[in-house]
Amino acid sequence: MTIDTIPLPQLTRQDFMSDQTVRWCPGCGDYAILATVQKVLPELGIPRENIVFISGIGCSSRFPYYMNTYGIHSIHGRAPTLATGLAIANPDLSIWVITGDGDGLSIGGNHLLHALRRNVNLNIILFNNRIYGLTKGQYSPTSRVGAKTKSSPMGTIEHPINPIGLALAAEASFVARSIDAHTQHLGEVLLQAANHVGSSFVEVYQNCVIFNPNEWVGLDDRRTRDDNILYLEHGKPMVFGKNHDRGIRLNGFTPEVVDLSDGVTETDLVIHDAESTELGYILSNMEYPTPMGVFRRMTDRPTYTDGLMGQIAEAQTKRGVGNLDELYRAADLWTVVPKEQDEPIESHISGRMADELDDEYVDRLAFGEEPAATTDLQERLAEETVEALAAHAPVEVDVHTSLAKAIRQMNTHNIGCVMVTDENDHLIGIFTERDVVMRVAGLADDLAAATVGQYMTPDPVAVRADLPIAHALHLMSLYGFRHLPLVDDDNRPTGIISFRDVVRHLHGVVKGTPAD
Amino acid sequence: MTLRQELETEQVRHMDLQGYCLVESETSVRETLAHMRGAGGRTALITRDGELIGIFTERDVMRRVAGTPEMLDGPIDAVMTPRPITILPDTSAADALWLMDDHHFRNLPVIDRQGNILGDMTHAAIIQYLAARFPVEVLNRSARPDQYPSKPEGGD
Ligand code: SF4
Repeated sequence: MTIDTIPLPQLTRQDFMSDQTVRWCPGCGDYAILATVQKVLPELGIPRENIVFISGIGCSSRFPYYMNTYGIHSIHGRAPTLATGLAIANPDLSIWVITGDGDGLSIGGNHLLHALRRNVNLNIILFNNRIYGLTKGQYSPTSRVGAKTKSSPMGTIEHPINPIGLALAAEASFVARSIDAHTQHLGEVLLQAANHVGSSFVEVYQNCVIFNPNEWVGLDDRRTRDDNILYLEHGKPMVFGKNHDRGIRLNGFTPEVVDLSDGVTETDLVIHDAESTELGYILSNMEYPTPMGVFRRMTDRPTYTDGLMGQIAEAQTKRGVGNLDELYRAADLWTVVPKEQDEPIESHISGRMADELDDEYVDRLAFGEEPAATTDLQERLAEETVEALAAHAPVEVDVHTSLAKAIRQMNTHNIGCVMVTDENDHLIGIFTERDVVMRVAGLADDLAAATVGQYMTPDPVAVRADLPIAHALHLMSLYGFRHLPLVDDDNRPTGIISFRDVVRHLHGVVKGTPAD
Repeated sequence: MTLRQELETEQVRHMDLQGYCLVESETSVRETLAHMRGAGGRTALITRDGELIGIFTERDVMRRVAGTPEMLDGPIDAVMTPRPITILPDTSAADALWLMDDHHFRNLPVIDRQGNILGDMTHAAIIQYLAARFPVEVLNRSARPDQYPSKPEGGD
């Protein structure tokens, strides 16, 4: 057998999760962004060793720790500079800059501008929560006029920066916006940003639940968002609203909202053109509905790296390769004489270092808020644990069981998932109908000879019975699971829940209570 | 609005109904499976001249194909579930959900009154829908609820 090329392993979201403890406040929008990035990266087909996340300072800048890729948690505001150097040194890398409204627009504002202007091949993701979260709630360069924060008790008197307008003005070749709570839209935008060659700038509205929780009301809730968001699609008329019944018309240079009735049709509306700089500026100032999606995409500009490498090659053909050592020695030289020994630095320091641990933050993490009793379906899902779902007794199979037998077992018990255990009865994998479709049916020839251990999903995500149902839903949506194994503290299977159990539970609650 | 009221007024057309792939009648079972795998393990809706005539789900794979490899080269029509129950795009999410619960369905193809296939209402669609209802409590949570930092600055 000859092997010409070794195919890339198919990466999954889990391959991009690191083993680091995620240190954001529970409920922070950063989690949803992290999960979405981890979901999108496998779709790019780029090997992990060619991906780098570079951040500055701030809550969002903890991002590189949580990605199982290369990463640099760098200096405040300077992530774009490190990223620029890296993009030139190794043009094969997929480089992501993670920054926030403070890090990117205040401390590192100038660096951001120039990375955009130079069209360095980067994906710059700016988490905008309109507040300084890490330093506990001071107003940021995107806080709205009048915002009352810890550093502006009477309301800030400063006018905020508009990040999209700024990126357009800095001549970024790809400018887009999305929001943490709309993970599907966010995923699509990130994918487009990643596929764009040149500097991509994506502003992500991000919810800081602790210091600025009401900033994105109307946009972060799926009940209302479609009525408040204008999804930009190149070449399509600007229609919005949950029922696609409103649109945007231009009155001179002013966009106005119109109802798609009484004589107004889609032909009267503005057609989105991501290549129009003028339209980009108009849209960047629009507050209602909030435009999301790609404002501008220019594909005709060379990247900074290409331009630079081109010039180097040209210079070398014209004037030879050059000699750095000669260049150094070409001008005046002098010798630096060492100074007399100074007193040791330790004698300059007095007092002692503050021994502070952030109690307030840790307390909140550990205990959370007391839940209030309720009968509301939504809150019940958040409060009740998966125990209420009356999990099924687990159907377990030993790791050496043949595939044929495992499939027979699943069919007899009428279940879509078996838990695979080792000789100590520890859960080591699960085997589901999905595995049969994806890896077995029509692919495995001898079901009697193959074992379930070869085809299971190893080290499955398993939960304990005290997990809130809402969180179980989260895991299901995050990983695309329909089943979640329950285990005890020793990782022994105690049951299995499926999404059907959630539906049955909801149905039971609804049937048992009169309409509200 | 409560979640219940919302489920009762929300129309299924507002959900993510893309969890399916289309396979033409008479395609072999083997090829159908390849299609499903290519689409990330989605349900196959079987069509003839654009019209829905059957559905082929993971469950059907388990029951009718996995144990009997001789079916693989036969047509999908022999192992699909013909004439599946479908719903309209303006069916309420609650009705669809309770229908799924009562009959143990995991897929409900969504067909408009002209017979056009608009999508497939799946458990996955509902999971996404419900999870997106809790941005703060659910979406914005760590995937690892039990992880707790041993040092205040994390990164351990
Ligand atoms: S302070 Fe705000 S932005 Fe920072 S982790 Fe907490 S919720 Fe997120």
